[in-house]
Amino acid sequence: MPRPELQQITFTVDGREIEAPAGTMLADAAKLGDVDIPVFCYEPKLGAPVGACRMCLVEIEGIPKLQTACSTPVRDGMVVDTESARVKAAQESVVEFLLLNHPLDCPVCDKGGECPLQDISFGWGRGTSRFQEPKRHFQKPVELSPLIAIDRERCILCYRCVRFSQEVSEDYQLVLNERGAATYVGTFDGHPYVAPFSGNIIELCPVGALTSQAYRFRARPWDIEQSGSVCTMCPGQCNISYTVRDDRVMRVLSRDNEDVDDGWLCDRGRFAYQSTYVDERITQPLVREAGELTPVSWDRAIAEASKLLQGSVGQVGALAGGSTSNEEGWLLRRLMTETLESRDFDSRPSGVVSVGLQAALDAPEAQATVPDLEWAHAVLVLDTEPVDDMPVLDLRLRKGVRRNGLRLAVASSRPSSLDPNAELSVRFAPGAGEAFVCALDAAIGGVGDVTGLCQAAGADPEAVGALGRMLREAGEDVVVVWGERLTHGLGDGPARNADNAARALLKLSGRLGLLDGRTGAGLLQVPSGGNSRGLREIGFLPNVAPGFSDPAAVGRGSRQIAQAAIDGEIRALYLLHADPVASFPDRAVWEQALGAASGVIAHAAFLTDGVREHATVVFPSEAGAEKEGTITHPDGRLQRLRPAVRRQGDARPAWQTLTQLLTSLGGESTALTSMMVTSELAEAVPFYAGITHDEIGGFGVRWQDRDAAASFPAGDTGPFTLDAPVAAPAVNGALRLGSFRSVWASPEVEHAPALKFLSPKQRAELNPDDAAERGIRHGQPVRVSAGGAAVHAVAHLRTTSPRGSVFLETGIGARSADVLRDDRDEAGGLPTVSVELVGSEVAAG
Amino acid sequence: MSTKLLFENIDEPGLHTLDVYRRRGGYAMAEQALAMARDSLVTALKDSGLRGRGGAGFPMGLKASFIPQGKMDKYLVCNADESEPGTFKDRELMQKNPHSLIEGMIIAAYAVGANKAFIFIRGEYVQQAEILEAAIAEAKQAGLLGPNVLGRGVDLDMWVHRGAGAYICGEETGLLDALEGRRGNPRLKPPFPANQGLYQGPTLINNVETLTAIPYILRIGAEAYAGLGVEKSSGTKLISVSGNVKRPGNYEIELGMTGRDIIYGLAGGIEDDREVLLWFPGGSSSPVLTKDDLDTVYAYDELAAAGTMLGSGAIIVVDDRHSVVDVAVKTASFYKHESCGKCTPCREGTSWTTKLLQRIQIGEATPMDLDVISSVCDQIMGNCLCVLGDAMAMPVASMVTKFRPQFEQHLERARSENEARLLAELQTTEPVLLGAGALASQH
Repeated sequence: MPRPELQQITFTVDGREIEAPAGTMLADAAKLGDVDIPVFCYEPKLGAPVGACRMCLVEIEGIPKLQTACSTPVRDGMVVDTESARVKAAQESVVEFLLLNHPLDCPVCDKGGECPLQDISFGWGRGTSRFQEPKRHFQKPVELSPLIAIDRERCILCYRCVRFSQEVSEDYQLVLNERGAATYVGTFDGHPYVAPFSGNIIELCPVGALTSQAYRFRARPWDIEQSGSVCTMCPGQCNISYTVRDDRVMRVLSRDNEDVDDGWLCDRGRFAYQSTYVDERITQPLVREAGELTPVSWDRAIAEASKLLQGSVGQVGALAGGSTSNEEGWLLRRLMTETLESRDFDSRPSGVVSVGLQAALDAPEAQATVPDLEWAHAVLVLDTEPVDDMPVLDLRLRKGVRRNGLRLAVASSRPSSLDPNAELSVRFAPGAGEAFVCALDAAIGGVGDVTGLCQAAGADPEAVGALGRMLREAGEDVVVVWGERLTHGLGDGPARNADNAARALLKLSGRLGLLDGRTGAGLLQVPSGGNSRGLREIGFLPNVAPGFSDPAAVGRGSRQIAQAAIDGEIRALYLLHADPVASFPDRAVWEQALGAASGVIAHAAFLTDGVREHATVVFPSEAGAEKEGTITHPDGRLQRLRPAVRRQGDARPAWQTLTQLLTSLGGESTALTSMMVTSELAEAVPFYAGITHDEIGGFGVRWQDRDAAASFPAGDTGPFTLDAPVAAPAVNGALRLGSFRSVWASPEVEHAPALKFLSPKQRAELNPDDAAERGIRHGQPVRVSAGGAAVHAVAHLRTTSPRGSVFLETGIGARSADVLRDDRDEAGGLPTVSVELVGSEVAAG
Repeated sequence: MSTKLLFENIDEPGLHTLDVYRRRGGYAMAEQALAMARDSLVTALKDSGLRGRGGAGFPMGLKASFIPQGKMDKYLVCNADESEPGTFKDRELMQKNPHSLIEGMIIAAYAVGANKAFIFIRGEYVQQAEILEAAIAEAKQAGLLGPNVLGRGVDLDMWVHRGAGAYICGEETGLLDALEGRRGNPRLKPPFPANQGLYQGPTLINNVETLTAIPYILRIGAEAYAGLGVEKSSGTKLISVSGNVKRPGNYEIELGMTGRDIIYGLAGGIEDDREVLLWFPGGSSSPVLTKDDLDTVYAYDELAAAGTMLGSGAIIVVDDRHSVVDVAVKTASFYKHESCGKCTPCREGTSWTTKLLQRIQIGEATPMDLDVISSVCDQIMGNCLCVLGDAMAMPVASMVTKFRPQFEQHLERARSENEARLLAELQTTEPVLLGAGALASQH
């Protein structure tokens, strides 16, 4: 449904004339005229008002009964009184009623000082109570989950948390138990409330009933300061605010930005700050001495690194991880090209897309924004699982479906958590994204061999046909949310099928009119790293110069860098916040590559597998709250990272280290601050021209909305000819291997005490029929193997899992699916694996 | 004035079967109605002056006219939750004459263009639910329900849904939530069910008696029906009389009788010929009347003028052997127990009022607490999400106002009894502290 157009109307509150968009709820509209109407249950982010707390009763001319301002849309000429005797009496009674059973434990309550109930009692209450009876008692506090404590005596039953669980995150876990004054919030059967977005209810709670276990009793509101920044752990780049006490991050709150996160955070973003202060964190430079990583001085570490690089000029490969800022990427790029004579650097784990296609996919005309998802006629989620890959998008899509009649379609290999909300869910064989896009393109265009392509993709031709019809007929505003993995390619060359997938995606987008610059329609990529888009735009790709211009020479991509290291053509590797062993596909290849290199320089916060085993010089990475710089959101919004606290231990900013290396290797740098690096790169990327920290401000700025966007280079315009895609392997008793990366698979989760319990264990997701054929039951240990490699996992049967495939987690160390990925056939096709039961069950059976 | 329509053949054996009902002319009105234009049916309902028999007394025809025209999923819901204390008329109707409810629903559904109908029946009515289910099955068999009703090209499916035992599910939007499988909590209005009701579709929701009256209205004609009763309270009404009367039970009356005619006439007067202390004219949520109000005319507007309401038509009579304090505690506790907890004034107010009244009952209060009760009731009235809070506040406030001297007397008596008991306890208990004398004797 397209965005409604808003008409301005004028109404009167307490004698003040106020202009507001028609249909705005009175409680919000009154604010435009600086009239504050108190509310507890009302929170527009939660959807339609429920009018439960009755705090916002006001008098409206012509209506005999008092009305709830939260649920009354303003109309032209409406006359409202919020200060009449009747209204005052009603407000005082509601406050009195709410305080009847509310304990007076403000002095020891975490919320005290930032509590709406305190504020409203003070502002609108009578100040005395006539209640002499005993208050309601509950056991307190109890664990609602390992992350959240619930104090039911403090609860004023405003429903916000329950509505969040039921209508926003749709995990349907929180309910109200019992009835009347005995009502209490909980889960139906008392199980812990564990869900990806559970922490939001802490912020929603208008009293101290829901408190963060991690923050509980750590600070009082008058001890703390708020410091705004952006979360870099995933491409969602949610706006956050660090709560700082005594130069230490105590908690993370959302910093509502409708264009980015809509005011929600996932639990990883909310609680991972804890990993800033754990002993496992690297806080000083390390150098490998006699096989052991040993703490050294910065001078020594820099000297070692520059010696290593100096001795490998022309033979250095570099990788930048997802949390790399634009500035860091820019400086490493300069280091590589200006002093090390190398173009072998990449910011993607796999696959190289040619520069013209890359530019076409990222063109302003083809770009959809995050809010577009909410208002589109239809959205296709293609080869990505938002809740894992970019969690906050998951909530946005649910909102669109629930509130605006968005028609959602999901096309993926693994069953998606959005399937129940989708009008259509289409499955294809794991890794056959390229073939699927070709099939869908043919179906939309009504040309080509749809059936044959569907067979190659392992998809049902009828379902693909229905999806094509739905997208064609839904309306003009169609958005395709596509996962970067679609273009990760298979082969070793400049990935022929990475380009083919990109061409197919562009071709079908063209058919749907998504490339014409229509507002509200377009493409939105879910990249593999938090700042992938920024790194792409500053040219941190082997075949792309800053601003998507053609580079003088093309270097090696990730896969080729690994191969070149094994072959001895690359001698040194520079890993900027990246550990390919821990998180890239082909773990075995990368282990070999890092082992073969004569030196590995890493910027890392934790000793992940590759760093621990192979790094020769380790520079401590800054934590999110310590970092300064800019990053670019997948929809082109430049956002600013602002340091909230001093760096721990001996950590230094990476931009400083990189500048030092650059100068020590004979390069030139005049940058004295991170901001100066920002200006430097803004000059180099034409469509970033002139952008400053001030302009980015607190909520970021989309470069597409600036004049400089006109200098975006023209990408390939087609017509695109498609090659025959790589077909999904036939399943002859084996299973196709699919993989997914859980939202919880990250070193921050592993090391944050509060989140540790969520750190994933390997599980093999199987269709029950495939499992039955192998004598496997739910929860039994299994061995998934291909060639010589094997992964041990616990069988997890899902009826929705497609037959003929098994899905394993990636990004979880030596048990990761990545162990199996290098076992692919000669032609670079897709791998199959076998799954069998292991352990005592076999003996017993 | 004992014109009988709904209760005409109520005690005829086997009336609940299709055969007997048909023999008595059943479903003739459905046949007739389905041949009429929808508009003229709605007009007939408006002209009959039929007002909702569930409690609110909203004109039924007007409500039906709010249902939007056009092709969409529309629903008819019959409110058979009958949860108002003292009300048991719908039970008798459904038990003995289920087919006239089904016939009424066929006509109402046709009039508003609904093709799915639900009867939400309170969980305790097991027997009645089974009778209804059997009657619906019979009607389906006979082509009166299902696809192509009576060969007229209209479809109507009908289901019986049993409630799980909550007063609030008698509130129409709470009922809809419960029917959708949610916790039965009232919804914010607007939107009203006529626009967004069940599954967000236009929904006509009416009480059992209202829907059952429809075939009888058509049979005698809207004008004749409007001629029954008094101005603005036309037709007949089923009333349930209970409490300290000689002949409790359901009676069908023409509106416009006096309270005295009903209590002393139909119901035979007070047990043991005692005096009336108070009576609820329209279920336990109506403000109470006293023996001085017995000559009030029993009709919608007349009762409203007397500061109370006709409600569901349930008259509960309390004689002078009972204490008004006990009645107030009982009434308040019921609503405290049934408050859904969604909105603040009802959740907290009913619980607080009950606690206050219980303190008065055991003599641990002062007359000032009576003022607090009045004030709390005042704070509840008109400030809640639905009318449940008012349903407690109205009768309780009326009792405290009309029987203040009795409350004060009770307080005094209970307090002095407590004091006497305490004193007696003190006198029979061995002294614990012996005072200065004991200390002195130690030396």
